[in-house]
Amino acid sequence: MSNLKNQTAAFISTYASDTSGVCSALYELGGMTIMHDASGCNSTYNTHDEPRWYDFDSYVFISALTEMEAIMGDDGKLISDIVSAAKELKPKFVAVAGTPIPMMTGFDFKAIANEIERQTGLPAFGFDTNGMHTYVSGAAKAFRAVADRFITDKLGKTSGLSVNLLGATPLDFSVNSSLQSAKELLTENGIETVSCLAMGSDLSEIRRASSARVNLVLSYSGLDAAKLLQKRFGTPYVVGRPCGAFGKRLMADIKAADRTGKNAVGFAGSSEGDILIIGEGVFAGSLAAAIREETGRKAFFASATEFDDGLFGEADVIARDEAELRPLIGKSRVLIADPLYKPLCRGMGIRFVPMPHEGFSGRIFRKDIPDLTRSIAPLLEQL
Amino acid sequence: MIKIAVYGKGGIGKSTTVANAAAALAEKGLRVMQIGCDPKADSTVLLRGKDQPTVLDLVRSGRDFSLDDMVSIGFGGVICVEAGGPTPGSGCAGRGIIAALEKLAEKGAYEEYKPDVVFYDVLGDVVCGGFSMPMRQGYADRVFIITSGENMAIHAAANIAMAIDGFKNRGYASLGGIILNRRDVAREDEKVAELCSDIGSGLVGVLSHSNTVAQAEELGKTVIEAFPQSDMAKQYRDLADSLMKICGVSEDA
Repeated sequence: MSNLKNQTAAFISTYASDTSGVCSALYELGGMTIMHDASGCNSTYNTHDEPRWYDFDSYVFISALTEMEAIMGDDGKLISDIVSAAKELKPKFVAVAGTPIPMMTGFDFKAIANEIERQTGLPAFGFDTNGMHTYVSGAAKAFRAVADRFITDKLGKTSGLSVNLLGATPLDFSVNSSLQSAKELLTENGIETVSCLAMGSDLSEIRRASSARVNLVLSYSGLDAAKLLQKRFGTPYVVGRPCGAFGKRLMADIKAADRTGKNAVGFAGSSEGDILIIGEGVFAGSLAAAIREETGRKAFFASATEFDDGLFGEADVIARDEAELRPLIGKSRVLIADPLYKPLCRGMGIRFVPMPHEGFSGRIFRKDIPDLTRSIAPLLEQL
Repeated sequence: MIKIAVYGKGGIGKSTTVANAAAALAEKGLRVMQIGCDPKADSTVLLRGKDQPTVLDLVRSGRDFSLDDMVSIGFGGVICVEAGGPTPGSGCAGRGIIAALEKLAEKGAYEEYKPDVVFYDVLGDVVCGGFSMPMRQGYADRVFIITSGENMAIHAAANIAMAIDGFKNRGYASLGGIILNRRDVAREDEKVAELCSDIGSGLVGVLSHSNTVAQAEELGKTVIEAFPQSDMAKQYRDLADSLMKICGVSEDA
C-alpha cells in the first residue's frame, strides 16, 4: 500500500513521456525519429505534445508494432522498414525511441541503431525510453546524444561573448515568443547565440557549438549535454532561464562564467516560504528567483520532473506525486503551477495562480502561456 | 577486464563449471566476479556457502542499498552476485536480468571491484531478449556454451550458437567455443564434434563425468576448494586456463 500511496495521481495529470521528449528534442534537426510502439500511440505525441506538428515538417514515425511482432521479437522487420524509409527520405540521422512494450521485451535499442547505421550509412541513435519517465528525461538523452555525435570539432572560440542555448523544446517553451525574447535579451547584453539545442537551429549551426564561450542550460534536459561539452571543450555552463529580474542575474552569471571558467546555478539559495512553484526544475527555480528579487517575498520550488538535487536551494525539492506535493502546498500561501494542479488546492485555503505548461497540460491552455522573459509583472499582480 | 558469458541447457552443469573455473582463476591470484543470471539465484552457492540477497530483491525492497549489499565474497575472494528474479509464476524473468545487470552497472560494480575476469552464468537457452542481455555490447566479450552429448543439450547449444550468429552485426559477444561436460552417453565425442563443425566453432575444454563433483557439491563447495588435489580439480584448472587463452590472456600474465 505504501508504494501505491506514493504513486497516486488521483487529481492531477501526468507529464509528457520520455518518448515524446526524444521526438520533441530532435524535431527540428532534419532526422527521422521512430517511436517503437503500437500504431495509434503516435497521436499522443502529435496531438498533445507537439505544437509544431501542423506548421513544421519533420519525419516522425511510429513503428506500428503488432502483438505478434512484440511476442516473436521480430526486430528484422523494424530494421528493414526503417532502412527502406531512410533510403527514400534521406534524413540526416535516424533515431529509434522506446516505449513500454519494447522495454518489457528487452529490445536492445543501441544494437538496433548500430545495425541501422551499418545498413544506411547514416548516424543512428537508439534511446531506451520506456514511457515511465517524463519528457525531460527523454529530451536529455536526445540532446546528449546529438552533442556527442555532432559537436565534435574543436573550433576557435568566438571573439565576443557567446552562448549555446541547451535544453529548448516546446514542452517547456511552448511556441510563443519566450525563446525569441531570451535570444534578444542575450543580444542586447552583447552575447551572441551560436546555436540552440534544439529550436531554431539546424544541424550545421549545432555543429559549430564548440565555438561558444559559455553554455546556457535553459531546462534540466540540457544539463547532460552541457556537462559533455564542458568535458570535451572546457566550456563552462550556467543553469537558468531568463525570467523577469532574474534575467539580469543570469546575464551577469554568463559573463562571470566566461571570465572564470566556473559553472553557475543562479537560482539556488532559496528558503522555504509562502510562494510555492511546481514545474520543470530550471523554469520553476528561475521564476522563484525572479519573484524573490522583485518582491522580497519568500518563494521556493518543487521540480515535478527529473532534476538534480545539486541544483537546489535548501528548501527546494523534487516532488513527483500528490503524496509528496500536498504537504508542500499545505505549508504555502500561494501555489503557482499548471492549471491542472488546481484540484490539489481544494480545501487548503491558498491562492492558486495558473502557469500553463505545455509539457503537462499540452494544448489545453496554450494560448494562456505567458512570455515571462522580460517581465513577470502580469504574474505578480495575481500574487 | 575479461568478460565471459556461459550458456547451455538447463541442468547441464553451468553453475558448477563456472564456479570451479572462477575458483581456479582466483587461486591463481586473479580477481574474479561471478554473476548468476537466474531467478533461482544459486549460481554462486558453492563459492559463498551462505545466503545472499539478490540484486532484484534489493531493488524490490524499495530501500536504499549500497553496492556492497549486492555482493558477497566467496572462496578465493571471488565476488559473488545473484541477479535474482520475479516471484515464481509471475513477472518477467528476462526483463529481470536486464534490470539487475543495469542496476549493477549503475552502482559502479565494475569500476569499484575492478575484476580481472567477470563470468555471467546465464539460465539455460537464449529464450528471449532478457537472456541475451549478458552477451550485449558492454557486457560479455565472449560466450562459451556448455553441452554434453545428450541430444537436448546439443539442440540447446545449436540454438544458442544460432542466436549469437544472428546478433553478429550488433556488436554483441562472439562465440568463444564449446565446453563438453560429459554424461558418458553413446557417441558423445562424435556428436559434440559434429556440433562444433555445424556451428563453426571449436571444443575448448572437456570435463569428465565424475562423482567428485557431486561429493564437493554435497559439502557445499567447489571441487577446487574441497578436493584441490583431485583429477577433476586439474580439469577445471585446465579449462580455466583454456578460457583465458581464448580471451587473449597468456599463461605468463
